[in-house]
Amino acid sequence: MGNEIFVKAASTTPATAGASIRISRLEKRFGPVFAVDGVDLDIAAGEFIALLGPSGSGKTTILMSVAGFEFPTSGTIQVDSEDLTYVPSNRRNLGMVFQNYTLFPHMSILDNVAFPLKMRGLPKAERHARAEAALATVRLGGYGNRRPNELSGGQQQRVALARAIVYQPRVLLMDEPLSALDKNLREDMQLEIKRLHAELGITVIFVTHDQSEALTMADRIAVLKDGKIKQIGPARELYERPANLFTASFIGEMNFVDVTVESVGDVVSVGLPWGETWQLPATAAVDGVKAGEAAVMAVRPERLRLGAGAAGQIVNVTLSDIVYAGSAMLLIGRLPDGTEMRARIPGESQLSSLAPGDVASFTVPAAAILLYQGKR
Amino acid sequence: MTKAVRSKFWHSDGRRLSGLSTLLLLLPFFAVIAFVFIYPIAQLLLISFLEPHPTLDNYARVVDNPVHARVLMRTLWTAALVTALSAVLGFPVAHYMSRTKGALAALVAVCVILPLWSSVLVRTAAWSFLLQRNGLINSALMALGLTSQPFKLLYTQSAVVIAMTHVLLPFMILPIYGALRSIPNDYARAAAVLGATRLRTFLEVILPLSLPGVVSGSLLVFLTALGFFITPALLGSPQEMMISTLVSKQIREILDWPFAAALVGVLTVFVTLLAIVFSKTLRFDRLMGSAS
Repeated sequence: MGNEIFVKAASTTPATAGASIRISRLEKRFGPVFAVDGVDLDIAAGEFIALLGPSGSGKTTILMSVAGFEFPTSGTIQVDSEDLTYVPSNRRNLGMVFQNYTLFPHMSILDNVAFPLKMRGLPKAERHARAEAALATVRLGGYGNRRPNELSGGQQQRVALARAIVYQPRVLLMDEPLSALDKNLREDMQLEIKRLHAELGITVIFVTHDQSEALTMADRIAVLKDGKIKQIGPARELYERPANLFTASFIGEMNFVDVTVESVGDVVSVGLPWGETWQLPATAAVDGVKAGEAAVMAVRPERLRLGAGAAGQIVNVTLSDIVYAGSAMLLIGRLPDGTEMRARIPGESQLSSLAPGDVASFTVPAAAILLYQGKR
Repeated sequence: MTKAVRSKFWHSDGRRLSGLSTLLLLLPFFAVIAFVFIYPIAQLLLISFLEPHPTLDNYARVVDNPVHARVLMRTLWTAALVTALSAVLGFPVAHYMSRTKGALAALVAVCVILPLWSSVLVRTAAWSFLLQRNGLINSALMALGLTSQPFKLLYTQSAVVIAMTHVLLPFMILPIYGALRSIPNDYARAAAVLGATRLRTFLEVILPLSLPGVVSGSLLVFLTALGFFITPALLGSPQEMMISTLVSKQIREILDWPFAAALVGVLTVFVTLLAIVFSKTLRFDRLMGSAS
């Protein structure tokens, strides 16, 4: 009965249509533990969203709830304003790619890709033709007669991708789809998925714990911790102006220094642990820091400049390690109060003279400094 | 780099045992097998060909005498029936076991495994109590008014089939359970999200992937059933002998060792053929290729 509806949906929905998704106040409890704790997430049609977080942050549970493998304790999930919260998986018409490919080992590649069409009652000739076409989309045309175990990991994941899009679902869910692949293959697949996303206009929810993957692939990234979204935004925003200490420490490398706020006005003046007072632009304060309270100053290692420059604050760092890291040199040392400080300096001209034990001066541009409430 | 341990007992990489040590470790096992299994069987087969003088007469008697041929056919048929019944009864139990966790799963597992620790004799005797003329089943049927006369249940081929199925069921359940457990959860999820109902998921994905378990369970049950002795001897009808009871009768009552040996020879040929056919025609390793 239900199957006929999908056939119709699958054949009348144009290939370029992604669905919008609205997740409202989603909550999932396992006993006393909140796996997902009141998540609101609006995803535009055709958007590529990454759910990024450490393990146990709830990102997978959210995806499982959208896929219908988990039913939330409360809250709703709507796809194109249709409430799917408690609809079984097989009636959601969503595409999904799993971490471990999950190709059925007893079926040929073609039968694997044709499987969802078979479930939708399409005649054999048509489902084989469409499966062939889907295989061609992921550049595996002609592989139909092989068995899953005759393909490499990357090829298997491309077959899984073909199988997930062959019935033209409006949404594609991806659960760490690249984490089982080695690095080079992973980068190829990232491009492949980006290309498919652009071609099909499908809405993608992509779960990952790999931040560089999230930053390069997604239109917007939701950073999760303890079942809550800590910040959601485009990569640039997340990286350049993290909204809170967690995001600041989770995304990329960051130096933190505990400071005391002395006054807040057109400029914020902060007292540093080694006695200096710095005047920072008011825009440095990301959340409302208050005079007299503790705050954390944050600077990205690659924003530090070697040597005393004009526009910025000067810090003296006693170097402990000088590491050649390919595109940049990584300098690790301690500030006068003992706080660790890292700097990534491109080029090598002035660096050859530095040795562990030296005291080097760095310029911290005022625009590179962010200020958060609280302590490290 | 640690220096490789060089010795006769280790492979040159220092991590694996050498061929010699492997052989030494396996030797006791093969010695026991050779002594308690291969030697007596070989002796028996020799008797079947050489006594009373070098001849094939003993085998001719198995085939020529319709009674003996019928015993052989009955044995094969009973073993097949028991295999089919235990597959049908055992699969749901194995499936349930593979999907349940916690106390309930442990309880089911104990129910499956516990009978294996009690003697076949005890379990067979229990059935004879249930099935006898004034046993539990007949009294229940009569109390319910379903019959006025007790059925003849004991000493029938049905009693043999029922009790053998009960005794051999764990050998079917455990391999199927193993096969089902090795199917990753994500397969069922993938099938569901691709649009398969629970029934289709089972028929198209779970069942085919569990077939290796069904096959090894069936092989275990069928081969064991072929040589079953106690249950047919205690519950079966003397007019409907199975091959093991026939062999026993030849040895203990008629003292016709050469003929008994010929019967064993025929059974051995069947068992061997079956094993070869299964391993040659069905490439289950290939089926399970990437189901890791």
